[in-house]
Amino acid sequence: MSEYINLLIGIAMGLNLLALGSSRLPTLIMAVALQGMALGLMPLLMETEADWRLVLVALATVAGKGLLIPTLLRKAMRAAHIDREVEPFIGFVPSLLLGAGGTIAAVALARSLPLLPEHSGSLLVPGSLASVFTGFVLLIGRAKAISQVCGYLILENGIYLFGLLLIHYTPLMVEAGILLDVTVGVFIIGIIVDRIQRAFDSLDTRKLTALRE
Amino acid sequence: MIQTLLLISGLGMLTSILAGLRAPKVWLAGVLAGAAGAIGAAITILSTGGEWNSYNSAALGGEAIHLRLDALSALFLALVGLVGGAGAVYAGEYWSETAHPRSAAPGRVWWSVLLLCLGLVLLAANGLHFLIAWELFTLAAYFLVTLNRRSPEVRAAGWLYLTLSHLSALSLFAFFAIMAARTGSWELKPLLDHPELAPLFWLALAAFGLKAGMFPLHVWLPSAHANAPSHVSAILSGVTLKIGIYGLVRFSGWLPVPPSAGWVIATLGVASAVLGVAFALGQHDLKRLLAYHSVENIGIILIGLGFALVATQQGHAAWGRLALAGGLLHVWNHGLFKALLFFGAGSVLHATGTREMSRLGGLWRAMPWTAALFALGAVAISGLPPLNGFVSEWLVFLGLFDAAIAHGPAAWAAIPAIVLLGVTGALALACFAKVCGVVFLGAPRSAAAAQAHESGPGMRGAMLVLGAGCVAIGLLPLLFWPAVARAVAVWQPVWASPAAPVPLVALGSAHLALAALAVLAGVWLWRKLQRAGFKRALTWDCGFARPTARMQYTAGSFAGIITEWFAGVLRPVRHESRPEGAFPAAAHLAQHTPETVLEYFATPVGGAVQQLAVAFRRFQHGRVQSYLLYLLIGAAALAAMVFLGGNP
Repeated sequence: MSEYINLLIGIAMGLNLLALGSSRLPTLIMAVALQGMALGLMPLLMETEADWRLVLVALATVAGKGLLIPTLLRKAMRAAHIDREVEPFIGFVPSLLLGAGGTIAAVALARSLPLLPEHSGSLLVPGSLASVFTGFVLLIGRAKAISQVCGYLILENGIYLFGLLLIHYTPLMVEAGILLDVTVGVFIIGIIVDRIQRAFDSLDTRKLTALRE
Repeated sequence: MIQTLLLISGLGMLTSILAGLRAPKVWLAGVLAGAAGAIGAAITILSTGGEWNSYNSAALGGEAIHLRLDALSALFLALVGLVGGAGAVYAGEYWSETAHPRSAAPGRVWWSVLLLCLGLVLLAANGLHFLIAWELFTLAAYFLVTLNRRSPEVRAAGWLYLTLSHLSALSLFAFFAIMAARTGSWELKPLLDHPELAPLFWLALAAFGLKAGMFPLHVWLPSAHANAPSHVSAILSGVTLKIGIYGLVRFSGWLPVPPSAGWVIATLGVASAVLGVAFALGQHDLKRLLAYHSVENIGIILIGLGFALVATQQGHAAWGRLALAGGLLHVWNHGLFKALLFFGAGSVLHATGTREMSRLGGLWRAMPWTAALFALGAVAISGLPPLNGFVSEWLVFLGLFDAAIAHGPAAWAAIPAIVLLGVTGALALACFAKVCGVVFLGAPRSAAAAQAHESGPGMRGAMLVLGAGCVAIGLLPLLFWPAVARAVAVWQPVWASPAAPVPLVALGSAHLALAALAVLAGVWLWRKLQRAGFKRALTWDCGFARPTARMQYTAGSFAGIITEWFAGVLRPVRHESRPEGAFPAAAHLAQHTPETVLEYFATPVGGAVQQLAVAFRRFQHGRVQSYLLYLLIGAAALAAMVFLGGNP
């Protein structure tokens, strides 16, 4: 079982790097969608007896993160006539290097954390830390609002991964609640993106500095 | 009894706050009732000793309300009541609705708020409530200082006052918070069994010293007192400075102090006394000059407190009691005569429209009441017998003499302190000779001074009350001794002793005899003059063909020699163009003494802080990405802290 989980997390970590290295928004959105789907499947693999509620939540996660949110983002992108370029502050190669360094650091850090014995072999903790870090790099290093939303989603995926550590202790309803929040958040951002576009004729968050006091 | 009186006082104040905007008469009645209640309660405590406590089930900020009045706070409460009541009567005429339609009503309300909060500071027995009242009275004082806020000078003075008051409040927050954290309660009570609290004294010294205008923390004081309306200057100088003294006395009695505390306070007291009067000599602005005399008098009070602390530290030393009694009596005395002098200065300002001494002169003809009462205040503040200033300074001197005779380490400090206190008194006399001479004697130097008029009954009445207080303490010191002795006993219970010191008894009789002689001599002179008849002539008619008012001594020339002595500290600025050649065209000389500590220290430091703040402002640029980077760095730093240092 654990190998499948680690495989999924490995895929997610690879998608992190893809997200960091891609220069086009559709690729970025796709990477986020795939990562969401991969992580959404994880509760099914972790729980030995399949509860119908668990299946429901896992399906909802896959549908939400893999289909609904990317669709919303693509729609927003089309509606606001955004160029497909990502416009980085931090270039793609430095981003990739940062992401790779962050992943290595996350593995090293996870080794030295006082984890429970059943988690020490899995990639859950390093994967979660690496995703959070990747999310931050995207949030800090990209100019466009859509790519920042993607960074935020990857960050949330990292937090979700960390939450899976506690899957035996927290009801999945909590995760379902978070999922709902994220979806609504992206929905609202989609609207805001449209508004920013109309108000500033651009989606460049650098221009938001005009709003400071 | 006390409960009822304080209830009357509080209700009177609340009524006056509510009535202040619309009904000046109700306001005045409320303030007077409040003042009378406070004075009554204070007198009851001071004449019987003991302490009054009121535990209330109501809570403010999660702390049960506990009010306490003992002899020490009653001493200050009486002063608040007296100056507050007199100031209200004075303000009714001085800052009247017709002369100041925009600010008269807010002035009344803030006056009541100020008095109420001053009373609450004195009554609060809980650190949190002390802080709340402290903050409110600071704000009320700020709004009073800036009543006439159309003038840029007033606004600048107000800002300086507000900023430094908050620096003081900040220290006070730290002081009370650390005390509460260490003792586990906000209750204010004697904590002498907590020796680890001793270093807190330095925080208290910074906070209360700033509020009291102790040198070199006095930078806000001259401009605030000079630019405030005169009744406000009177209460700021006469009463709110004393609240700083109250804090110092209260907490140096209740908390353990570091061994050097007494020496530091005494040294700062001497510095305040001498430099305060030196700066005063260099001033040409009447109210600014009076403001610097506040620094001087605070210095005298601090000398008393400092030597009392030294005496406590050296075990049972009787001279400490005298020094502290002198300091505490000087709290009353300075409150009385400084308020009187500011009222007098306000009267001059009201009549002539200027505080600039070089535009005044010859006012005693037009304003005999103001001139006489101002002169009375001047005699009192110069520490001349038979008025009250001499009594308290004499007590401080007695303490220092006894310390010098007692042959301890304190003797070596007491002797220079005696000399410098004497110098202070002499310089104060010189300074007030200058003020009275330039403002009230001679010929008017401007048209405004020539057309001056006497102020009305309200202003004169307020001055008369304070003048009577000065005379009463001067002539009957024994009547007031028990009150001061009880306050001293609250501070240091070991020193409780009902008997008045022998020299004070002698001083009382000497003052009575001196006053009787002076009255007799005055009557005799007056009669002689009446019989002989006298003729009025020009004041400076010394053989000049055409004397003009400009030939008189100016304020600057009068004090010129003495300000030269202190040029190293005062740094007077001279602008002159000397008359040259056989037929000089124009000559000109101007001199002014800046606030040295403000200009050479506080302003550069403030500028550096501001530059630093502007540099930090660059971090707030509105780019979301960088803010997220800050977040990441912050989180990483926290993680590193936990990781590296978190394993106990």
